[in-house]
Amino acid sequence: MSAGTETVVYTETAARGRTMSLSTRNTIFRALCLSSALLVLAVLAGILLSMVIGGWPAFRAFGLGFFTGSAWDTQSDQYGAWPAIAGTLSSAVIALAIGVPLSLGVAIFLTQLAPRWIRTPVATAIELLAAVPSIIYGMWGLFIFVPLFAEYFQVPVSNVTEGLPIVGTILYARSPTGLGVATAGIILAFMIVPFIASIARDMLAQIPTVLRESAYGIGCTTWEVVRYVLVPQAGVSIIGAIMLGLGRALGETMAVTFVIGNANRLSTSILDPGSTIASRIANEFNEAIGLQMNALIATGCILFLVTFVVLVVARLLVARMKAV
Amino acid sequence: MHAEPPLPPIASDVPSAWGRVRGSRRIADKVLKASAWIATGISVVVLFWILGMLIIQGGSSLSWSVFTQATPGPGSEGGGLANAIVGSFVLTFLGIAVATPIGVLAGTYLAEYGRGSKLAALIGFLNDILLSAPSILIGLFVYTLVVQPMGTYSGWAGAIALAIIALPVIVRTTDDMLGLVPGTLREAGVALGAPTSMVTQRVTWRAARAGIVTGILLALARIAGETAPLLFTALNNNSWFGPQLIGGIPNLPVTIFQFASAPYENWRQLAWAGALIITAAILLFSVTARYALGRDNAR
Amino acid sequence: MSAAPITTQTTVGHADANDRARVRMSVKNLDFYYGQFHGLKKINLSFYDRQVTALIGPSGCGKSTLLRTFNRIYSLYPEQRAEGEIIFDGRNILDPRLDLNELRARIGMVFQKPTPFPMSIYDNVAFGLRLNERLPKSELDDRVEQALRRSALWTEVKDKLKQSGMGLSGGQQQRLCIARTIAQKPEIILFDEPTSALDPISTGKIEELIEQLKSEFTIVIVTHNMQQAARISQFTTFMYLGEVIEFGPTPRIFMSPEQRQTQDYITGRFG
Repeated sequence: MSAGTETVVYTETAARGRTMSLSTRNTIFRALCLSSALLVLAVLAGILLSMVIGGWPAFRAFGLGFFTGSAWDTQSDQYGAWPAIAGTLSSAVIALAIGVPLSLGVAIFLTQLAPRWIRTPVATAIELLAAVPSIIYGMWGLFIFVPLFAEYFQVPVSNVTEGLPIVGTILYARSPTGLGVATAGIILAFMIVPFIASIARDMLAQIPTVLRESAYGIGCTTWEVVRYVLVPQAGVSIIGAIMLGLGRALGETMAVTFVIGNANRLSTSILDPGSTIASRIANEFNEAIGLQMNALIATGCILFLVTFVVLVVARLLVARMKAV
Repeated sequence: MHAEPPLPPIASDVPSAWGRVRGSRRIADKVLKASAWIATGISVVVLFWILGMLIIQGGSSLSWSVFTQATPGPGSEGGGLANAIVGSFVLTFLGIAVATPIGVLAGTYLAEYGRGSKLAALIGFLNDILLSAPSILIGLFVYTLVVQPMGTYSGWAGAIALAIIALPVIVRTTDDMLGLVPGTLREAGVALGAPTSMVTQRVTWRAARAGIVTGILLALARIAGETAPLLFTALNNNSWFGPQLIGGIPNLPVTIFQFASAPYENWRQLAWAGALIITAAILLFSVTARYALGRDNAR
Repeated sequence: MSAAPITTQTTVGHADANDRARVRMSVKNLDFYYGQFHGLKKINLSFYDRQVTALIGPSGCGKSTLLRTFNRIYSLYPEQRAEGEIIFDGRNILDPRLDLNELRARIGMVFQKPTPFPMSIYDNVAFGLRLNERLPKSELDDRVEQALRRSALWTEVKDKLKQSGMGLSGGQQQRLCIARTIAQKPEIILFDEPTSALDPISTGKIEELIEQLKSEFTIVIVTHNMQQAARISQFTTFMYLGEVIEFGPTPRIFMSPEQRQTQDYITGRFG
């Protein structure tokens, strides 16, 4: 759009002077807008660049072993990212396993089931859940949820699974304090519900009424309408919404730091303490020096790349629905 | 229908009776409905549980000294959150002050100049990625960008980190809200011979004003409680700070983080009071923003 | 074709013969409300077995509203309610204890816009069947083919049954929706302006189809097109402002209407 050329040609010089100054101002304004927009790109590029440069010494020192190594030892200056990567992935998977059914339930409730008088207050409550700061989730998790989780889940479950093959490894708490990867996953689940639910709700609400009516018109129950017609119609955009939730779960810091137990060792049990990339950076970065700092930035680089890919795919899937 | 002569009848002559729906369908339907109610119930209960916890724990810890005294050092008695509250105000408003002009101008570029261009589409897309990027990484970025070169933690670094988080929120809402302004309004402006910049500033911005302000409020709600990006930028401390904002700047989120599981009873009390204050402020911002937006959309 | 019609074919002016036809569904003192608005007022009507009944009238007269009470699709919206009786197979359709899923399987509906479900052509037709019946694959195939043949779509789609129903043309999509409805063997089919979104050729095909379907199904059709009502229906109901003004055999309604309003509408003086 060549915005600067839409001027009227006056014959009087005074008038021409005025329009020229207007068009100069227009050019300046346009340049300001463009450079502000480019700043968004610059910030994103800057984040990536600072991660790559800051993490480079660690990548160089440990090579591919950085991804698979599980040592995290400041004495011998040996660092491997695997325990943090594993903690990040497993807490995010637990968050999705619990958060996705909850979110879809909320979305279905709000679009299909809720009586009118209850719909707005519930929708507002779910939106407020998204506004609660992550540190508050952390406090709720640590002081309220963790003791309950230890007493009513970790202890009984560990008593049952002790000594059993496989489940005895994955679902056994060596010290049932309530802290651990599973706890972090559950808190994360509540944190991602409002995000997934609000997008899924928009997707379901966008589906034309007549399609919904014709599904009911053929004799479907509400479950059948949702399962066979509405969800397939919303299609991949629901997966996009879920991936947005995943992106959030991967990078969430404060709530996780409160409840994950911050263990540097890798445990095979999800009921044991662990750490995520974000929680480890939050805990150690201020005291870190030398190669340890580089290693922390390198894990940050890994986190950035993973969330970037997840978010790109998520946005593409969600946008596809909007375009239709 | 012409080429196929024998068409078998579909409907039977005997009218079927009532009661042929399989029971399992009704059960599946009931199970789904019950699950959706339960899922919603759980989510709402979590919200009220968190709010209830804040009101009970935070309310009992609130007193005037919270607002008048500075944060106490380790092992000292009493104390308040005054310096942290003021610090948080300064950081948050500096962050918004930096992000607002840039965000509004960038959103204006996307909506007014870049419609349909590949560059604008790319920027808009990457802006949405930045919107959901992990905030701790933004803290790391600002650490390497500002703290390392300056050689000290500072309020400026904290404010820049918060501005980076607020920026994409403002860009997105500005772009969306300008997009809602009817094209005829712009055409009317351009038809008078005004250049795009003037039409944008005098007409389009004005038409979308409520929406843009809403976006700024939402950004405010978003950054007011952010903790992770402040950990390595503004840091925190227990004293007051000078106008040059150099060194660790006390702020509420990091204070809450450090005090919440501390061994001192007065620290833990202050953490609860701080949690109540900050959540109340954020919910206020976000309810105001949503109310304004709802009213705006209804019009 | 075994289904022998009970009445004589469609013929003109045989009101007596038609009145002897078996009543499939009857409406008694039906009132309908959208919140405070009184949408239908004391409707009394009968629908005859294997006949096409057309509901005509100007926009907003309540013809679609009436149609939407017969399968209670209106009950998706809490602010809408109906009072009175609609008797079908010995029960009142408005009875709150009635199983709606079953009602809607027995009284099918075809909507104004074609609404293929997001699945293959085959699955669209088999959809209703699978809800209620557990059929072996071969029988399911058979029923799908029958339904597609009956809706005059088989030759066009038999080689692409696995493709999405969304890929068909508008007219084909509407016939797919008809196939999906008749596959369930409903007793009554409700058509809500089924051709208003279609071109003239597709409209012709749908009309021809309805003509054939009436040998097996009782049909109620809402249309804003009077020629269409005259072409395909045996009975016509003229509605105005939420009331039934006149009901009778189609030829009589069009040739010698008893009410002034009917005449005005038919001759194009309003609406």
